[in-house]
Amino acid sequence: MRIRRRQVLSGSAAGAVSLASGLAAPAIAANEPIKIGYLPALTGPSSSTGVGINRGVQLAVEDINNAGGVNGRKLELIVRDTQSDPTKAVNAVSELTQRQKVSMIFGPVNSGEALAATPLIARDKVPMLHPCWVDELIDVKKYPMAFRQAPTNSQIGGGANHYVVDVLKLKKVAVISDTTGYGTASVNTYVPMLKAKGADVVYTNHIDAANPDLKPEMLRMQSAGAQVIMPWSVNAGFLSRILNTRGAMNWDVPVVGQTTLGSGQTKALLEKPEYWNKVYSNNFRKCCYVDGKLPPLTAEYVERLKKAKIEFADTLLWWVALGWDGVRLMADVFKNGGTKAEEIVGYMNKVKDWPGVYGTVTWTPQQHNGFPDSEVVMCEVNSLKDGAFNLAPGYAS
Amino acid sequence: MLQSIVSYGLAVGAVYALIGITYNVMYSASRVFSFTAGMLGMLGGVLGALFIQKMGINAVLGFVMVLACGAVLGIVTELLTVRPVLKSIEQHLYVLSTLAFALMIQQVTAIEWGTEAQPFPVLLPIGEGWLDQKFWLPLLACAVTIGGLEFLYRYTLIGRAFLAIAEDNYAARALGLPETWLRIASFALAGMIGTLAGFTGAQMLLAFFGNQSILNFYGFVPVALGGMGSNRGAVIGGLALGLFQQAANFLVGGIFAAVAVFAVFIVVLLLRPEGIAGASTARRV
Amino acid sequence: MTEITTPIRAGGASTGWLGRLEGKLSWILLGLAGLALPLLDDSYMGTIATRAYIYWVLSAGLNLVVGYAGQIAIGWVSMLTLGAYTTAALAAGRVGPEWPVYLALLAGGGVGAVFGVVVGLPALRLRTFYFAMTTLGFATIATQVALAWKDVTGGGVGTPGPVFPWPFDPGWGFYYFCFLLAAVATWITANIGSSRYGRALVAIRDAEVAAEASGIAKPRLLVLIFLLAGALGGIAGGLFASLQSYITPDAFTFEMSVLFFIGILIGGRGSILGPALGTLILTVLPEIAAPLVQWSTFLYAALLLLIVLVIPGGIADLLDYRNRRPLEQHREIVPRPDLLPRVLGDQNARTLIALKGIRLHFGGVKAIDGLDLEIHGGEVHGLIGPNGSGKTTTLNVVSGYYRPREGSLRVDGSDLPFERPHVRAQWRIARTFQTPRVVGAASVLENVMIGGTVHGHGTFAESMLSLPRHRLDERVLREAAMLALATVGLESLASVRADRLQHSELRFVEIARALVLRPACLMLDEPAAGLSAEEIRRLGGLIKAISRAGTAVLLVEHHADLIFDICDRVTVLNLGKVLAAGTPEEIRSHREVVSAYLGA
Repeated sequence: MRIRRRQVLSGSAAGAVSLASGLAAPAIAANEPIKIGYLPALTGPSSSTGVGINRGVQLAVEDINNAGGVNGRKLELIVRDTQSDPTKAVNAVSELTQRQKVSMIFGPVNSGEALAATPLIARDKVPMLHPCWVDELIDVKKYPMAFRQAPTNSQIGGGANHYVVDVLKLKKVAVISDTTGYGTASVNTYVPMLKAKGADVVYTNHIDAANPDLKPEMLRMQSAGAQVIMPWSVNAGFLSRILNTRGAMNWDVPVVGQTTLGSGQTKALLEKPEYWNKVYSNNFRKCCYVDGKLPPLTAEYVERLKKAKIEFADTLLWWVALGWDGVRLMADVFKNGGTKAEEIVGYMNKVKDWPGVYGTVTWTPQQHNGFPDSEVVMCEVNSLKDGAFNLAPGYAS
Repeated sequence: MLQSIVSYGLAVGAVYALIGITYNVMYSASRVFSFTAGMLGMLGGVLGALFIQKMGINAVLGFVMVLACGAVLGIVTELLTVRPVLKSIEQHLYVLSTLAFALMIQQVTAIEWGTEAQPFPVLLPIGEGWLDQKFWLPLLACAVTIGGLEFLYRYTLIGRAFLAIAEDNYAARALGLPETWLRIASFALAGMIGTLAGFTGAQMLLAFFGNQSILNFYGFVPVALGGMGSNRGAVIGGLALGLFQQAANFLVGGIFAAVAVFAVFIVVLLLRPEGIAGASTARRV
Repeated sequence: MTEITTPIRAGGASTGWLGRLEGKLSWILLGLAGLALPLLDDSYMGTIATRAYIYWVLSAGLNLVVGYAGQIAIGWVSMLTLGAYTTAALAAGRVGPEWPVYLALLAGGGVGAVFGVVVGLPALRLRTFYFAMTTLGFATIATQVALAWKDVTGGGVGTPGPVFPWPFDPGWGFYYFCFLLAAVATWITANIGSSRYGRALVAIRDAEVAAEASGIAKPRLLVLIFLLAGALGGIAGGLFASLQSYITPDAFTFEMSVLFFIGILIGGRGSILGPALGTLILTVLPEIAAPLVQWSTFLYAALLLLIVLVIPGGIADLLDYRNRRPLEQHREIVPRPDLLPRVLGDQNARTLIALKGIRLHFGGVKAIDGLDLEIHGGEVHGLIGPNGSGKTTTLNVVSGYYRPREGSLRVDGSDLPFERPHVRAQWRIARTFQTPRVVGAASVLENVMIGGTVHGHGTFAESMLSLPRHRLDERVLREAAMLALATVGLESLASVRADRLQHSELRFVEIARALVLRPACLMLDEPAAGLSAEEIRRLGGLIKAISRAGTAVLLVEHHADLIFDICDRVTVLNLGKVLAAGTPEEIRSHREVVSAYLGA
């Protein structure tokens, strides 16, 4: 499936009409569609997350519109593919806020784009919902209209650190990353957090992801006495090299880290299937199997996905769920709060325990990070089935 | 640990050396530096994975098909991007035409093959460690290529014609050598060497569209340092670069390793613009 | 120069082609559109236009490097990176106290200027492709350093961009700020482009040897250009950081660098308007061609290939309607030697160039083997001999291209240093080349003006700002060049692109270019080759008249008739040695010469 930028999906012909009359002043009539600006990275490098989320987003919009929309108004998704390029994201933001006058913006997912887009969206006083994890995006003073339905990077790192230190009870940790912005920033944040938890970070380094040979790195981790490796990267090639080298060295050390460890791309690059054993990646409690079963709400959702014939071979459940939740959440906000910026923010500030498939969301006027720590968990990557994983061993169910 | 640095350094270095030779073969025939060298290396891996892994074609046949694709791409490069700008070579338009062509191919690869690295099949599982295909295959390919080229240049008529063209274009034409055909043949040969580099190195570097820019640069370094047109210089330079890079990765870590390679490249070039092997400047007037 | 009283003009006031604000109308329209855009009240268009202006601030400088000087700086995005981080870091107080934002922007420009020179300098030593690779290397290093230097750049998480305070605050204020800076960048680069510096850059690009012979010192010129292009790139970076609102290393991609580069080439080398339009198109195109977004790089590359193969002149060529008008078919070159005294001025002091004991070897071959030669002002000195006898080599020794192993070279008794070809023009030694070395993409007049580069007094900064001294330089030089063209009989072609001329006309263009220098010594390398008998006769008359005006003329030629017609002295070379020397009559009757060379 190839999705073009500015593809307008609304379940009716209204989308095409509104695109043509993009310059016209918006009339807020009772049956006008509600415009949602959507900034995914659907093409270009690291677009697999965006593609996965997009499946959930599109399905949710379709379902809501088929059921009559929100208070009789259809949802209209205005999509601009940012291609993970911050300059395109900035252009897109001004189109969405100024020309399309959207009620709310969902995205972007990639950190560089999200960091650039957020201040601009805030400047134009449009409420936004973040699926992105970068901590700096949420600041109730600077960006009072920005909310996050996803965990922060600190929560993600905290979850992994918690698993390593408190569940696996390992103290000597090697933390590594690739040389991208995401990788370096993660290591710089997580190492002090680990130390604060009393762990001993015996090795830390940024590694060029193009480097084909990680053996010297691994040997140094080994000789430093590392009991666990925590890699932070979204590069499947890099992560698979870590796992392959670990396997070739017969080094029986757990690898705990980024969700990409569990992606199909990483799996495809493994030299032997068993190299995927003892690998634990971040995941979210509501998207994990416990005793072979998903939580009831999630199971119901997966049935819905199967009915819609959503492809799972190349994506993950939580990606799709994240997009699905985002649209459902915004629809609820429109329905119960309204579609004006202050109505939206006023309602969102009071959302409590909103039951999502991806996570339970709670916001307060002081805290716009809505994802609970308790739902950030680790999973066993070799248990991948229908885009979801088993909860890693050691968690109390 | 030393073994790891040396084995990977040599294997990666052999790939760089082969890309360097690809630059050289094209340069000798046309006085053109072509940005397509890295593209050929990238495609060697991607096409190999496509034919053998995805389409399930027999490995030998797949290998031959990859080389054939390389030859065809080499010829297309010559026809499309080199020949039209050759008459005004002093304007260096070839830099732009070959860059444009390479970018187009890379973009098509990114869209059709995907932007994620994909696996390359193990073809000859004869052992571990040094016997692992990913180490010896690039080295073997490099040795075979350099041996083959030496044989071609020394003992065959067509090889001597290549040399004559490389030495002096005008004189060769005056001797009645079919310069155009020799140039096409050189580009086809370069296409095969480039894809060979990518094919043999792909186990290590994976089938990944981003390898193009990496190979373009790291394949050029041995040429620049070893003296352009010198295949032996390229091999020595390539292996040295591979070892240096792995050692730098190990000693100073990812971010600074890349900076170190680039910095050494620039400094050496500034000190010795003609490369370490050195050659005098051409007559200008 | 007061003696020039009769103005000689080609039709129309504007005779330049390069760097002239081609079609002032286009600029006025672009400017009005830019000023009026806010009336539409569409911030989206404002953002796109602001981005185009910012990219153009960088590209305007890069245009001088790529389009004018022909240096393939693919990785110029590093200037944007440096400027962006410098401005952002200083404004945010990541280095010392918080700087005022406008001052931080200036600092960004300063850092850009310094690193522009650092990145650009390898161009002096390296071949084209090598240089292209080093610029890419620098671009990679800049990004890696931005990632690693966390305290200043924020590392992978990045740093907020600066926000300009009133009157250029975000929105239309910032829009006008970028518009203003783009206009300034256009103005100063257009000033440079149409000055002697711009002509010198293009000469370095297309006819480097002739540029040196005209006294153009490549290193100094390129350093100035890299300073300017780096400064503009740095300022563009500061503006970029503000437009983006937040910068991370992944915003500075190779694709962006390629975009700048291709925009310039699509626009056309040696033009200002073309690259401006090219940059504008490439910035706006992806916004319009929405369904093709993932193919955008492919389309840029295809466009580049198309331009290189089909219209190497780019948009500027398409806009240059004047040079598509057909030229008169049967043109005649009618020199007017009577104008020579006005061209050459007083030549009372008769120069004497003396070569003594010159020996020069190429490997084992003795190219010149103990040559003594004297060239006197007011005389035509013929240098003949079979191929390979060392005629052109002798000329190249005087021009400074070769350093002989031994011997001396004196002008009026003082030593002329060997090598260093670009100092010859200061000694007022001019020359022509066996195959004419002219800048095909420049007008005939501009080509001739290149010959007078050393006569300019204005500095680079004065040219940049078009100050009075620069304007005086230009006027004087233009008049001198028109006079020289009239002298050789080509003034009617002054505004024509040089690559449209016939071969014989190019020979006379080269002579005109040499005359503009007011040479004390003029060296002609086979000027009659390829000319018709009638043209050779006229050439002979012109050369003789040049010598009679006081210039020392050294004539390397194969046409025996021409030599014996006009030379006052003749030296015959064989195997790098003087075979015979004397008056034409003496040579004509010299037995060895007759048997060895004249073949009669």
